[in-house]
Amino acid sequence: MASRRVSPEQILNIPGLTYLLAFIATLLVSGVLMLFRGRINSSIIALLYILPVALSSALWGLKPGITAAFISFLAFNFLFIPPYYTLMVHQTLDLLALLVFLGTSVFISQMFAQNKLSLAKARDHERETISLSELISQLAGLTDDREIATRLAAQTLAAFRAEQVIVLVDAPVNGGAISILQKDASIPEGRSSSVSQPNLVAPLQSAQGLIGEIQLYRRTPPISATETRLLHTFASQAVLALERARLLQTEQRARVLEENDRFKSSLLSSVSHELRSPLAAIKAAITSLQDDDVAWDSEGRRDLLDMVEEETDHLNLLVGNLLNMSRIEAGALKPEKSWNALSELVGDVLGRLHQYLLRHQIDVDVPDDLPLVPVDYYQMDQVITNLVSNSVKYSPIGSRLRIHSRQLDEHTLLFCSSNQGPSVPEEDLERIFDKFYRTSSTNQIGGTGLGLSICKGIVEAHGGKIWAENLPDGFQICFTIPLDWEAQPMEKIGSGTI
Amino acid sequence: MSSEPHILVIDDEAQILRALRTILTARHFRVTTATRGEDGLALAAAQSPDAIILDLSLPDMDGVEVCSRLREWSNIPVIVLSVRESERDKVAALDKGADDYLTKPFGVDELLARIRVALRHSSQAQGSKSTTISTAGLEIDLVRHIVTRNGQEVKLTATEYKLLAYLAGHAGRILTHQAILSHVWDPEDANRVEYLRVYIRQLRRKLEEDPDHPKTIINEPGIGYRFIVND
Repeated sequence: MASRRVSPEQILNIPGLTYLLAFIATLLVSGVLMLFRGRINSSIIALLYILPVALSSALWGLKPGITAAFISFLAFNFLFIPPYYTLMVHQTLDLLALLVFLGTSVFISQMFAQNKLSLAKARDHERETISLSELISQLAGLTDDREIATRLAAQTLAAFRAEQVIVLVDAPVNGGAISILQKDASIPEGRSSSVSQPNLVAPLQSAQGLIGEIQLYRRTPPISATETRLLHTFASQAVLALERARLLQTEQRARVLEENDRFKSSLLSSVSHELRSPLAAIKAAITSLQDDDVAWDSEGRRDLLDMVEEETDHLNLLVGNLLNMSRIEAGALKPEKSWNALSELVGDVLGRLHQYLLRHQIDVDVPDDLPLVPVDYYQMDQVITNLVSNSVKYSPIGSRLRIHSRQLDEHTLLFCSSNQGPSVPEEDLERIFDKFYRTSSTNQIGGTGLGLSICKGIVEAHGGKIWAENLPDGFQICFTIPLDWEAQPMEKIGSGTI
Repeated sequence: MSSEPHILVIDDEAQILRALRTILTARHFRVTTATRGEDGLALAAAQSPDAIILDLSLPDMDGVEVCSRLREWSNIPVIVLSVRESERDKVAALDKGADDYLTKPFGVDELLARIRVALRHSSQAQGSKSTTISTAGLEIDLVRHIVTRNGQEVKLTATEYKLLAYLAGHAGRILTHQAILSHVWDPEDANRVEYLRVYIRQLRRKLEEDPDHPKTIINEPGIGYRFIVND
């Protein structure tokens, strides 16, 4: 439809051409009939002269039809009614025949023209319906203003065979104003730039006011009333689509806000409780040390002070978790990767948690010849710290904790932290990674329910997977880390550097 | 100048200033405090302290900037204090000339150890450097390029030796990955931490009693390495 080949219809728009064609058709018929003059009856001639009249009105409309009728009338009279080559009529019967001919042909041309008109109307109507239904199906289900505007512009351009269409949409709540320009590709650049004023503008009028407009540029053929109406229908369809999209966006925003709100209040209640218990322990230890009535022996003092140190470390871990959680929630957790040795990382974590691990047996199997992993050091540290402290928290004193890692395949490293703690019901194995989720069996043990969801957030931000499973004699959590890092592939360290 | 070492603490948190003043005074340090970067720089110029403890987040300017401005005219040792979340700033401060760092919250013994190293280093800078370094059965002869462990010579490749000599030459101080890479390899390789990891692993296998729990070449999480000399 976009092609600009000159169609037959357009040629017919040249003024006077259809009249000329009607004239030529009549002349042709006259020429042919001349060959048989004198041999055929004038009534047959009259019948045959109906041909150009019917043809002209059927093809070119009422006025060329009537023109053909009059020319036929004159030609019939001039050429076939004696005396020939005059417009005089001697016999009354001939005069009657002529007048009947004129009347009939005018009537026929009117009939044909009317037929043609209603056919054209039906076609217009059909085209209108098709382009409208195309537009509706194009706009269905769209939720993005820009997409809606683009489809609308393209569809308008095609339906109206326009030179250029501009769709303007005002800025919704968030996002900028949109302006989409669609041009007929077959028009050379130079010509289209001369288009300065739109030939038709339809406003996008929503219940909340004007939200944009469609500008249609088409100089020829002039825009008909039907097309004006159609463009307004297009506009109202577009408004419907835009309103639907905005409603959906608002709803989504509301849902996110609501979720955030719920998250924050759960966080607050979980954290204030969690922060208070180490603070209580610290305060108790320090006030006892300050108490002049008790003469603490050196071992007692040591115990209390160790407790203070342990609890401050615990507080520090909590704060780190909180920070990471809020980053994960805000989508701001971007690992700053570098090549790290997992064995070093594990060593650092265990060194830091040393005090905390004294009451368990630790079995570490993280070979130092594992390939280096592209991870954010601090985030991975947080993951391992959380997993280890979880193991400590949920397994009986004196039991064995195991930390092991191995290469799964060329692209993946596996890390697991297992303990001899109680198993978790199968249906909870996935849910323990949800925020604030705590299994019913752990009610008596303190926790924010954040640790594992942070681990999940961080591991997934690194492109890995994390899961939990029950073991015959305990419980373990494993995660994978991809070894590939496209941004900075690890170079094989050549012998040249040695 | 009194005989007590003079420490300037630049930190905007009143509790930290109070705690450090109490702790350091009890250990016979003379303590001056500043809460803003500009004040800190002015005090450093006026009183020339023996060491500076600098917090990275200050109200008027970035601690990294304080560090680089200080280094324009002074070699006073600087120990940077920061929270765990600002590791990148910490590396930036070290690259701008800070000598060491501590992560908040920190233990006092750690802080004192850092201060001792810093003070020793500043006095060493004036005197001549020793040509052999020895610790935990390990002896490194920086002139003859010979490394022995428990009396046995250890064979090192050229790169391994270069790396060890650089670490040992800055014993007790933190060296960032970038600094090590650009000294031992090439400034262009400053981000190739993987080189370093491989060579550190090799060195530890040759030099440490237990390579999995290194005592001499220790890891500074996410920042670099430190060569420990036992006194």
